[in-house]
Amino acid sequence: MKTKKVFGAFALGLLLAASAPVLSLAQTPTPPAAPAPAPAANPLAVAVVPPPRAFKTAEEHFNYLKRQANGGTRHTYESVPKWEGLWEASWNSIALRGGVSPFFVGPIPPGLTAGGVVAEGVLTPEYEAAFKQRREHMIPFNEQPYDRLTTCEATGVPRWLLEPYVREWVNTPDQSWWLNDLANETRRVYVDQDHKNIDGAHSPTGDSIGFWINDTLVVWTNDMWPADYFRGYPPFSNEMEIVEVYKLVTEANGMQRLIAQVTFYDPVSLLKPLSGVYTWVKAAAIEDAGYRMRHWDCNTGAQVRGENDTTSIRLPGEEGRSWHEMRNPDLPADLSGQTQSPDQFDFDTVFGQKPANQ
Amino acid sequence: MNKLLAFALAAAAIAAPVTMAYAHHSFSMFNPDVEDVIQGKVVRWAFNSPHTFMIIEDAEGVVWAFEGAAPPSLLGRSPQMTGDTFKTGDEISVVSCPLRDGRNGGAAGVFVTADGTAYNPSDAGCRANQRIANWPAWIAKGYKSLEEAKAGEGIK
Repeated sequence: MKTKKVFGAFALGLLLAASAPVLSLAQTPTPPAAPAPAPAANPLAVAVVPPPRAFKTAEEHFNYLKRQANGGTRHTYESVPKWEGLWEASWNSIALRGGVSPFFVGPIPPGLTAGGVVAEGVLTPEYEAAFKQRREHMIPFNEQPYDRLTTCEATGVPRWLLEPYVREWVNTPDQSWWLNDLANETRRVYVDQDHKNIDGAHSPTGDSIGFWINDTLVVWTNDMWPADYFRGYPPFSNEMEIVEVYKLVTEANGMQRLIAQVTFYDPVSLLKPLSGVYTWVKAAAIEDAGYRMRHWDCNTGAQVRGENDTTSIRLPGEEGRSWHEMRNPDLPADLSGQTQSPDQFDFDTVFGQKPANQ
Repeated sequence: MNKLLAFALAAAAIAAPVTMAYAHHSFSMFNPDVEDVIQGKVVRWAFNSPHTFMIIEDAEGVVWAFEGAAPPSLLGRSPQMTGDTFKTGDEISVVSCPLRDGRNGGAAGVFVTADGTAYNPSDAGCRANQRIANWPAWIAKGYKSLEEAKAGEGIK
Protein backbone atom coordinates (compact mmCIF):
# COMPACT_ATOMS: atom_id res chain seq x y z
CA MET A 1 0.00 0.00 0.00
CA LYS A 2 2.79 2.34 0.95
CA THR A 3 4.58 1.45 -2.24
CA LYS A 4 1.47 2.28 -4.24
CA LYS A 5 1.27 5.70 -2.59
CA VAL A 6 4.89 6.44 -3.33
CA PHE A 7 4.52 5.44 -6.95
CA GLY A 8 1.34 7.48 -7.13
CA ALA A 9 3.18 10.51 -5.83
CA PHE A 10 5.98 9.94 -8.30
CA ALA A 11 3.45 9.72 -11.10
CA LEU A 12 1.92 12.98 -9.90
CA GLY A 13 5.33 14.57 -10.12
CA LEU A 14 5.80 13.35 -13.64
CA LEU A 15 2.37 14.66 -14.52
CA LEU A 16 3.17 18.06 -13.05
CA ALA A 17 6.30 18.26 -15.12
CA ALA A 18 4.84 16.95 -18.32
CA SER A 19 1.32 18.22 -18.56
CA ALA A 20 1.55 21.97 -18.40
CA PRO A 21 3.46 22.61 -21.59
CA VAL A 22 1.21 20.29 -23.50
CA LEU A 23 -1.74 22.41 -22.59
CA SER A 24 -0.15 25.81 -22.84
CA LEU A 25 1.72 26.02 -26.12
CA ALA A 26 -0.02 26.32 -29.41
CA GLN A 27 1.24 27.30 -32.82
CA THR A 28 -1.47 29.86 -33.49
CA PRO A 29 -3.90 32.05 -31.59
CA THR A 30 -6.65 29.85 -33.00
CA PRO A 31 -7.28 26.36 -31.61
CA PRO A 32 -4.41 24.14 -32.72
CA ALA A 33 -4.63 20.73 -34.24
CA ALA A 34 -4.94 17.96 -31.68
CA PRO A 35 -1.49 17.39 -30.18
CA ALA A 36 0.09 14.02 -30.52
CA PRO A 37 0.44 12.22 -27.19
CA ALA A 38 3.77 12.74 -25.47
CA PRO A 39 5.79 9.69 -24.55
CA ALA A 40 4.53 8.91 -21.07
CA ALA A 41 7.78 7.54 -19.71
CA ASN A 42 9.72 10.80 -19.68
CA PRO A 43 8.67 13.44 -17.14
CA LEU A 44 9.99 16.23 -19.33
CA ALA A 45 8.21 15.09 -22.48
CA VAL A 46 6.24 17.69 -24.39
CA ALA A 47 3.69 16.87 -27.07
CA VAL A 48 4.57 17.81 -30.61
CA VAL A 49 2.09 20.38 -31.91
CA PRO A 50 2.03 20.07 -35.69
CA PRO A 51 1.16 23.01 -37.96
CA PRO A 52 -2.55 23.88 -38.00
CA ARG A 53 -2.75 22.35 -41.47
CA ALA A 54 -0.34 20.84 -43.96
CA PHE A 55 1.94 23.26 -45.76
CA LYS A 56 4.30 22.51 -48.60
CA THR A 57 6.81 25.17 -47.67
CA ALA A 58 8.05 27.10 -44.66
CA GLU A 59 7.00 30.28 -46.42
CA GLU A 60 3.37 29.10 -46.64
CA HIS A 61 3.45 28.05 -42.99
CA PHE A 62 4.99 31.30 -41.73
CA ASN A 63 2.73 33.54 -43.80
CA TYR A 64 -0.38 31.61 -42.74
CA LEU A 65 0.45 32.10 -39.06
CA LYS A 66 1.15 35.77 -39.65
CA ARG A 67 -2.17 36.29 -41.45
CA GLN A 68 -3.99 34.48 -38.64
CA ALA A 69 -2.36 36.85 -36.17
CA ASN A 70 -3.26 39.91 -38.26
CA GLY A 71 0.40 40.69 -38.73
CA GLY A 72 1.37 39.96 -35.16
CA THR A 73 2.07 41.98 -32.04
CA ARG A 74 4.32 45.02 -32.24
CA HIS A 75 6.31 45.07 -29.00
CA THR A 76 8.18 47.89 -27.30
CA TYR A 77 11.33 47.49 -25.22
CA GLU A 78 9.09 47.42 -22.17
CA SER A 79 6.63 44.86 -23.47
CA VAL A 80 8.87 42.46 -25.40
CA PRO A 81 9.08 39.10 -23.58
CA LYS A 82 12.22 38.76 -21.46
CA TRP A 83 14.03 35.42 -21.65
CA GLU A 84 17.30 36.50 -20.06
CA GLY A 85 19.56 34.27 -18.02
CA LEU A 86 21.49 31.12 -18.82
CA TRP A 87 19.67 28.15 -20.34
CA GLU A 88 20.59 24.61 -21.27
CA ALA A 89 19.05 22.16 -23.66
CA SER A 90 16.53 19.74 -22.23
CA TRP A 91 14.06 17.22 -23.64
CA ASN A 92 13.36 17.16 -27.36
CA SER A 93 11.56 14.83 -29.73
CA ILE A 94 14.08 14.73 -32.56
CA ALA A 95 17.42 13.43 -31.30
CA LEU A 96 19.18 12.22 -28.18
CA ARG A 97 17.53 13.97 -25.27
CA GLY A 98 14.07 12.48 -25.35
CA GLY A 99 14.75 8.82 -25.88
CA VAL A 100 12.67 9.02 -29.04
CA SER A 101 13.28 10.19 -32.57
CA PRO A 102 11.34 10.12 -35.81
CA PHE A 103 14.49 8.76 -37.44
CA PHE A 104 14.38 5.50 -35.46
CA VAL A 105 11.83 2.80 -34.86
CA GLY A 106 11.18 2.48 -31.14
CA PRO A 107 13.61 3.71 -28.51
CA ILE A 108 16.73 5.37 -29.83
CA PRO A 109 20.10 3.73 -29.19
CA PRO A 110 21.42 4.81 -25.78
CA GLY A 111 23.56 7.91 -25.83
CA LEU A 112 25.20 8.28 -29.17
CA THR A 113 25.96 4.63 -29.70
CA ALA A 114 25.52 2.54 -32.79
CA GLY A 115 22.57 0.23 -33.28
CA GLY A 116 18.89 0.97 -33.50
CA VAL A 117 16.54 0.53 -36.41
CA VAL A 118 16.38 3.32 -38.96
CA ALA A 119 12.81 4.43 -39.60
CA GLU A 120 11.87 4.12 -43.25
CA GLY A 121 9.64 6.53 -45.09
CA VAL A 122 10.81 9.67 -43.27
CA LEU A 123 13.78 10.58 -45.42
CA THR A 124 13.93 10.61 -49.19
CA PRO A 125 15.43 7.42 -50.63
CA GLU A 126 18.80 9.08 -51.25
CA TYR A 127 19.02 10.50 -47.73
CA GLU A 128 17.65 7.36 -46.12
CA ALA A 129 20.41 5.38 -47.81
CA ALA A 130 22.97 7.94 -46.66
CA PHE A 131 21.68 7.74 -43.09
CA LYS A 132 21.84 3.95 -43.13
CA GLN A 133 25.38 4.21 -44.46
CA ARG A 134 26.27 6.52 -41.55
CA ARG A 135 24.77 4.07 -39.04
CA GLU A 136 26.66 1.16 -40.60
CA HIS A 137 29.89 3.15 -40.44
CA MET A 138 29.33 3.68 -36.69
CA ILE A 139 29.27 -0.01 -35.80
CA PRO A 140 33.04 -0.65 -35.45
CA PHE A 141 33.43 2.45 -33.26
CA ASN A 142 30.04 2.23 -31.50
CA GLU A 143 29.55 5.89 -32.37
CA GLN A 144 30.12 8.26 -35.28
CA PRO A 145 33.91 8.32 -35.44
CA TYR A 146 34.28 11.79 -36.91
CA ASP A 147 32.09 14.75 -36.10
CA ARG A 148 32.21 17.79 -38.39
CA LEU A 149 32.19 19.99 -35.27
CA THR A 150 35.61 18.65 -34.30
CA THR A 151 37.29 21.61 -35.94
CA CYS A 152 34.66 24.02 -34.65
CA GLU A 153 32.42 24.22 -37.67
CA ALA A 154 29.16 25.93 -36.78
CA THR A 155 26.44 23.55 -35.66
CA GLY A 156 23.69 24.82 -37.95
CA VAL A 157 20.18 25.51 -36.71
CA PRO A 158 18.76 22.01 -36.05
CA ARG A 159 21.77 21.08 -33.98
CA TRP A 160 21.88 24.51 -32.36
CA LEU A 161 18.54 23.59 -30.84
CA LEU A 162 19.79 20.59 -28.87
CA GLU A 163 23.55 20.81 -28.38
CA PRO A 164 24.87 20.92 -24.81
CA TYR A 165 26.60 24.00 -23.44
CA VAL A 166 24.80 27.24 -22.64
CA ARG A 167 22.33 29.58 -24.32
CA GLU A 168 21.29 33.18 -23.80
CA TRP A 169 18.18 34.71 -25.39
CA VAL A 170 17.98 38.46 -25.77
CA ASN A 171 14.79 39.87 -27.25
CA THR A 172 14.41 43.44 -28.47
CA PRO A 173 11.48 44.87 -30.43
CA ASP A 174 13.34 44.63 -33.76
CA GLN A 175 15.70 41.69 -33.26
CA SER A 176 16.20 38.67 -31.09
CA TRP A 177 19.78 37.55 -30.42
CA TRP A 178 20.21 33.95 -29.44
CA LEU A 179 23.67 33.06 -28.26
CA ASN A 180 25.18 29.63 -27.86
CA ASP A 181 28.61 29.41 -26.30
CA LEU A 182 29.29 26.42 -28.54
CA ALA A 183 31.62 27.86 -31.18
CA ASN A 184 30.27 31.32 -30.45
CA GLU A 185 27.32 30.61 -32.70
CA THR A 186 24.77 33.42 -32.55
CA ARG A 187 21.41 33.44 -34.27
CA ARG A 188 19.81 36.75 -35.13
CA VAL A 189 16.09 36.92 -35.75
CA TYR A 190 14.92 40.05 -37.56
CA VAL A 191 11.46 40.89 -36.26
CA ASP A 192 8.78 42.21 -38.60
CA GLN A 193 11.24 42.29 -41.48
CA ASP A 194 11.66 40.42 -44.76
CA HIS A 195 14.39 37.94 -45.63
CA LYS A 196 17.54 39.46 -47.04
CA ASN A 197 20.54 37.79 -48.60
CA ILE A 198 23.06 40.09 -50.23
CA ASP A 199 25.79 37.49 -49.73
CA GLY A 200 24.94 35.44 -52.77
CA ALA A 201 25.43 32.33 -50.67
CA HIS A 202 24.02 30.39 -47.76
CA SER A 203 25.48 30.54 -44.26
CA PRO A 204 25.69 28.16 -41.27
CA THR A 205 22.64 29.55 -39.48
CA GLY A 206 20.96 31.15 -42.47
CA ASP A 207 18.64 34.15 -42.37
CA SER A 208 15.91 34.29 -39.73
CA ILE A 209 12.87 36.55 -39.64
CA GLY A 210 10.03 36.52 -37.14
CA PHE A 211 6.99 38.10 -35.61
CA TRP A 212 5.39 38.04 -32.18
CA ILE A 213 1.92 36.84 -31.24
CA ASN A 214 1.73 38.33 -27.76
CA ASP A 215 4.36 36.27 -25.87
CA THR A 216 4.93 33.73 -28.65
CA LEU A 217 7.64 34.26 -31.27
CA VAL A 218 7.30 32.72 -34.73
CA VAL A 219 10.54 32.38 -36.73
CA TRP A 220 11.26 31.37 -40.34
CA THR A 221 14.84 30.49 -41.26
CA ASN A 222 16.19 29.86 -44.75
CA ASP A 223 19.46 29.95 -46.72
CA MET A 224 21.34 27.52 -44.45
CA TRP A 225 24.34 25.32 -45.12
CA PRO A 226 23.62 21.62 -45.22
CA ALA A 227 24.38 19.99 -41.88
CA ASP A 228 22.86 17.35 -39.59
CA TYR A 229 20.35 17.05 -36.76
CA PHE A 230 23.03 15.67 -34.46
CA ARG A 231 26.04 13.37 -34.41
CA GLY A 232 24.86 9.96 -35.58
CA TYR A 233 21.67 11.42 -37.04
CA PRO A 234 20.68 12.18 -40.64
CA PRO A 235 22.07 14.99 -42.72
CA PHE A 236 19.83 17.60 -44.33
CA SER A 237 20.27 19.56 -47.50
CA ASN A 238 21.02 23.15 -48.42
CA GLU A 239 17.32 23.58 -49.24
CA MET A 240 16.23 23.13 -45.61
CA GLU A 241 13.93 25.81 -44.23
CA ILE A 242 12.53 25.86 -40.70
CA VAL A 243 9.54 27.38 -38.89
CA GLU A 244 9.95 27.67 -35.11
CA VAL A 245 7.30 28.75 -32.58
CA TYR A 246 8.76 29.81 -29.21
CA LYS A 247 7.07 30.37 -25.87
CA LEU A 248 8.27 30.63 -22.27
CA VAL A 249 6.24 28.32 -20.05
CA THR A 250 6.09 28.19 -16.26
CA GLU A 251 5.28 24.68 -15.08
CA ALA A 252 2.99 23.79 -12.21
CA ASN A 253 6.05 23.13 -10.04
CA GLY A 254 7.42 26.60 -10.81
CA MET A 255 10.06 25.44 -13.25
CA GLN A 256 10.45 27.68 -16.29
CA ARG A 257 10.96 26.14 -19.66
CA LEU A 258 11.43 27.62 -23.08
CA ILE A 259 9.61 25.46 -25.61
CA ALA A 260 9.91 25.54 -29.39
CA GLN A 261 7.56 23.73 -31.73
CA VAL A 262 9.60 23.26 -34.89
CA THR A 263 8.76 22.14 -38.43
CA PHE A 264 11.53 21.24 -40.87
CA TYR A 265 10.89 21.70 -44.60
CA ASP A 266 13.45 20.09 -46.89
CA PRO A 267 12.24 18.59 -50.17
CA VAL A 268 15.67 17.14 -50.86
CA SER A 269 16.03 15.13 -47.64
CA LEU A 270 12.49 14.76 -46.24
CA LEU A 271 9.56 12.98 -47.86
CA LYS A 272 7.27 15.41 -46.09
CA PRO A 273 7.72 18.20 -43.55
CA LEU A 274 8.85 16.96 -40.15
CA SER A 275 7.59 18.45 -36.89
CA GLY A 276 9.22 18.18 -33.49
CA VAL A 277 9.61 19.99 -30.20
CA TYR A 278 12.71 21.28 -28.39
CA THR A 279 12.94 22.54 -24.81
CA TRP A 280 15.41 24.40 -22.61
CA VAL A 281 15.59 24.85 -18.84
CA LYS A 282 17.28 27.47 -16.72
CA ALA A 283 20.89 26.62 -15.92
CA ALA A 284 20.54 27.67 -12.30
CA ALA A 285 23.59 25.85 -10.94
CA ILE A 286 25.79 27.42 -13.57
CA GLU A 287 24.40 30.88 -12.90
CA ASP A 288 24.90 30.43 -9.16
CA ALA A 289 28.51 29.42 -9.78
CA GLY A 290 29.14 32.70 -11.57
CA TYR A 291 29.49 31.27 -15.06
CA ARG A 292 29.67 33.75 -17.89
CA MET A 293 29.88 32.93 -21.55
CA ARG A 294 33.36 33.42 -22.93
CA HIS A 295 34.53 33.52 -26.49
CA TRP A 296 35.15 29.94 -27.59
CA ASP A 297 38.69 29.65 -28.94
CA CYS A 298 38.78 26.58 -31.10
CA ASN A 299 42.55 26.19 -30.63
CA THR A 300 42.16 25.52 -26.92
CA GLY A 301 40.03 22.53 -27.75
CA ALA A 302 42.90 20.81 -29.52
CA GLN A 303 40.59 18.48 -31.42
CA VAL A 304 41.68 17.48 -34.89
CA ARG A 305 40.70 15.18 -37.70
CA GLY A 306 42.99 12.23 -37.13
CA GLU A 307 44.02 9.23 -39.16
CA ASN A 308 41.31 7.06 -40.66
CA ASP A 309 38.88 9.98 -40.54
CA THR A 310 38.36 9.85 -36.80
CA THR A 311 38.23 12.67 -34.32
CA SER A 312 41.42 12.92 -32.29
CA ILE A 313 43.22 15.36 -30.02
CA ARG A 314 46.55 17.11 -30.24
CA LEU A 315 48.77 16.81 -27.21
CA PRO A 316 51.11 19.37 -25.66
CA GLY A 317 54.50 19.37 -27.28
CA GLU A 318 53.29 17.82 -30.50
CA GLU A 319 53.42 19.43 -33.89
CA GLY A 320 52.98 23.11 -34.25
CA ARG A 321 54.22 26.40 -33.00
CA SER A 322 53.23 27.98 -29.74
CA TRP A 323 50.15 30.11 -29.65
CA HIS A 324 52.29 33.25 -29.57
CA GLU A 325 54.47 32.09 -32.47
CA MET A 326 51.41 31.34 -34.57
CA ARG A 327 49.98 34.79 -34.01
CA ASN A 328 53.14 36.84 -34.16
CA PRO A 329 55.68 35.32 -36.55
CA ASP A 330 57.30 38.75 -36.83
CA LEU A 331 58.03 39.05 -33.11
CA PRO A 332 60.62 37.41 -30.83
CA ALA A 333 59.47 33.92 -29.84
CA ASP A 334 60.45 34.58 -26.21
CA LEU A 335 58.69 37.94 -25.90
CA SER A 336 57.51 38.34 -22.30
CA GLY A 337 53.85 38.33 -21.36
CA GLN A 338 52.58 36.54 -24.48
CA THR A 339 51.03 33.42 -22.97
CA GLN A 340 47.24 33.57 -22.75
CA SER A 341 47.33 34.05 -19.00
CA PRO A 342 50.16 35.05 -16.67
CA ASP A 343 52.28 32.29 -15.14
CA GLN A 344 51.68 29.77 -17.92
CA PHE A 345 54.52 27.81 -19.45
CA ASP A 346 55.06 28.33 -23.14
CA PHE A 347 54.20 24.78 -23.96
CA ASP A 348 50.83 25.21 -22.30
CA THR A 349 49.58 26.77 -25.46
CA VAL A 350 51.08 24.44 -28.02
CA PHE A 351 47.69 23.85 -29.50
CA GLY A 352 48.50 25.87 -32.59
CA GLN A 353 48.03 24.83 -36.16
CA LYS A 354 50.59 22.81 -38.02
CA PRO A 355 52.94 25.20 -39.84
CA ALA A 356 52.23 25.36 -43.54
CA ASN A 357 55.79 24.39 -44.47
CA GLN A 358 55.69 21.04 -42.64
CA MET B 1 0.71 13.25 2.63
CA ASN B 2 2.98 16.23 2.71
CA LYS B 3 5.91 13.88 2.38
CA LEU B 4 4.30 12.27 -0.64
CA LEU B 5 3.65 15.65 -2.22
CA ALA B 6 7.25 16.62 -1.60
CA PHE B 7 8.32 13.37 -3.19
CA ALA B 8 6.12 14.10 -6.18
CA LEU B 9 7.65 17.53 -6.62
CA ALA B 10 11.09 16.03 -6.17
CA ALA B 11 10.30 13.54 -8.88
CA ALA B 12 9.57 16.40 -11.20
CA ALA B 13 12.61 18.32 -10.06
CA ILE B 14 15.14 15.52 -10.37
CA ALA B 15 14.15 15.11 -13.96
CA ALA B 16 14.76 18.76 -14.68
CA PRO B 17 18.54 19.13 -14.51
CA VAL B 18 20.18 18.27 -17.77
CA THR B 19 23.68 16.97 -17.75
CA MET B 20 25.92 17.97 -20.58
CA ALA B 21 27.71 14.70 -21.01
CA TYR B 22 27.74 14.84 -24.77
CA ALA B 23 30.44 16.94 -26.28
CA HIS B 24 30.71 18.52 -29.65
CA HIS B 25 32.92 15.79 -31.04
CA SER B 26 33.23 12.04 -31.24
CA PHE B 27 34.95 10.00 -28.50
CA SER B 28 36.00 7.17 -30.76
CA MET B 29 39.69 7.95 -30.17
CA PHE B 30 39.42 6.85 -26.53
CA ASN B 31 39.13 3.28 -25.28
CA PRO B 32 36.26 3.21 -22.78
CA ASP B 33 37.03 -0.39 -21.81
CA VAL B 34 40.36 0.49 -20.22
CA GLU B 35 40.87 2.66 -17.14
CA ASP B 36 44.46 3.56 -16.25
CA VAL B 37 45.89 5.57 -13.37
CA ILE B 38 48.50 8.22 -14.18
CA GLN B 39 50.01 10.11 -11.27
CA GLY B 40 51.97 13.33 -11.36
CA LYS B 41 51.87 17.05 -10.76
CA VAL B 42 49.50 19.47 -12.40
CA VAL B 43 51.15 21.46 -15.14
CA ARG B 44 47.97 23.16 -16.23
CA TRP B 45 44.29 22.82 -15.55
CA ALA B 46 42.69 24.36 -18.64
CA PHE B 47 39.13 25.25 -17.70
CA ASN B 48 37.86 26.20 -21.12
CA SER B 49 35.27 25.25 -23.71
CA PRO B 50 34.73 23.16 -25.67
CA HIS B 51 36.61 20.85 -23.28
CA THR B 52 38.63 21.13 -20.12
CA PHE B 53 42.12 19.67 -20.19
CA MET B 54 44.18 18.38 -17.28
CA ILE B 55 47.87 18.44 -18.20
CA ILE B 56 50.21 16.69 -15.77
CA GLU B 57 53.85 15.69 -15.63
CA ASP B 58 54.69 12.29 -14.15
CA ALA B 59 57.75 11.35 -12.08
CA GLU B 60 59.72 10.53 -15.23
CA GLY B 61 59.04 13.95 -16.71
CA VAL B 62 56.52 12.68 -19.24
CA VAL B 63 53.68 15.11 -19.96
CA TRP B 64 50.15 13.76 -20.25
CA ALA B 65 46.91 15.47 -21.31
CA PHE B 66 43.40 14.39 -20.40
CA GLU B 67 40.22 15.75 -21.93
CA GLY B 68 37.28 16.42 -19.63
CA ALA B 69 33.77 17.79 -19.93
CA ALA B 70 33.11 21.46 -20.61
CA PRO B 71 33.16 24.03 -17.80
CA PRO B 72 29.36 24.45 -17.57
CA SER B 73 29.05 20.75 -16.85
CA LEU B 74 31.76 20.68 -14.18
CA LEU B 75 30.22 23.63 -12.36
CA GLY B 76 27.18 21.53 -11.62
CA ARG B 77 29.01 18.53 -10.17
CA SER B 78 29.86 17.65 -6.60
CA PRO B 79 32.51 18.52 -5.68
CA GLN B 80 32.22 21.47 -8.02
CA MET B 81 35.18 22.28 -10.23
CA THR B 82 36.21 25.75 -11.37
CA GLY B 83 39.31 27.12 -13.02
CA ASP B 84 40.92 27.47 -9.59
CA THR B 85 40.29 23.96 -8.30
CA PHE B 86 43.61 22.46 -9.41
CA LYS B 87 46.81 24.49 -9.14
CA THR B 88 50.10 24.07 -10.94
CA GLY B 89 52.28 21.76 -8.87
CA ASP B 90 49.42 19.99 -7.10
CA GLU B 91 49.84 16.24 -6.81
CA ILE B 92 47.07 14.42 -8.60
CA SER B 93 46.04 10.96 -9.72
CA VAL B 94 44.10 10.79 -12.97
CA VAL B 95 41.99 7.80 -13.87
CA SER B 96 41.51 7.93 -17.61
CA CYS B 97 40.46 5.96 -20.64
CA PRO B 98 43.54 6.07 -22.85
CA LEU B 99 43.90 7.16 -26.43
CA ARG B 100 43.64 4.12 -28.66
CA ASP B 101 46.75 5.20 -30.58
CA GLY B 102 48.94 4.90 -27.48
CA ARG B 103 49.95 8.52 -27.13
CA ASN B 104 50.23 10.08 -23.68
CA GLY B 105 46.65 11.16 -23.15
CA GLY B 106 43.11 10.09 -22.70
CA ALA B 107 39.60 10.90 -21.62
CA ALA B 108 39.50 12.05 -18.00
CA GLY B 109 37.42 9.81 -15.77
CA VAL B 110 38.28 10.65 -12.16
CA PHE B 111 40.70 13.07 -10.51
CA VAL B 112 41.93 12.20 -7.02
CA THR B 113 43.84 14.90 -5.17
CA ALA B 114 46.47 14.40 -2.45
CA ASP B 115 43.86 14.68 0.29
CA GLY B 116 41.87 11.85 -1.23
CA THR B 117 39.09 13.99 -2.71
CA ALA B 118 37.64 12.45 -5.86
CA TYR B 119 36.37 14.70 -8.65
CA ASN B 120 34.27 13.71 -11.64
CA PRO B 121 35.52 15.52 -14.76
CA SER B 122 34.22 12.88 -17.14
CA ASP B 123 32.57 13.49 -20.44
CA ALA B 124 31.02 10.69 -22.44
CA GLY B 125 34.46 9.36 -23.41
CA CYS B 126 35.18 7.54 -20.15
CA ARG B 127 32.96 5.81 -17.62
CA ALA B 128 35.51 5.60 -14.79
CA ASN B 129 33.33 8.10 -12.95
CA GLN B 130 30.88 5.25 -12.38
CA ARG B 131 33.48 3.90 -9.93
CA ILE B 132 34.35 7.24 -8.36
CA ALA B 133 33.52 5.92 -4.88
CA ASN B 134 36.06 3.13 -5.28
CA TRP B 135 38.96 4.83 -6.99
CA PRO B 136 40.47 6.76 -4.02
CA ALA B 137 40.84 3.55 -2.04
CA TRP B 138 42.05 1.61 -5.06
CA ILE B 139 44.67 4.26 -5.78
CA ALA B 140 45.73 4.20 -2.14
CA LYS B 141 46.29 0.46 -2.52
CA GLY B 142 48.50 1.11 -5.50
CA TYR B 143 46.33 -0.21 -8.29
CA LYS B 144 47.33 1.29 -11.63
CA SER B 145 44.39 0.18 -13.70
CA LEU B 146 40.84 -1.07 -13.45
CA GLU B 147 42.11 -4.47 -14.48
CA GLU B 148 44.52 -4.53 -11.50
CA ALA B 149 41.84 -3.26 -9.14
CA LYS B 150 39.40 -5.94 -10.22
CA ALA B 151 42.01 -8.64 -9.80
CA GLY B 152 43.10 -7.32 -6.42
CA GLU B 153 39.59 -6.86 -5.10
CA GLY B 154 38.21 -10.08 -6.52
CA ILE B 155 35.74 -8.27 -8.76
CA LYS B 156 34.52 -10.11 -11.83
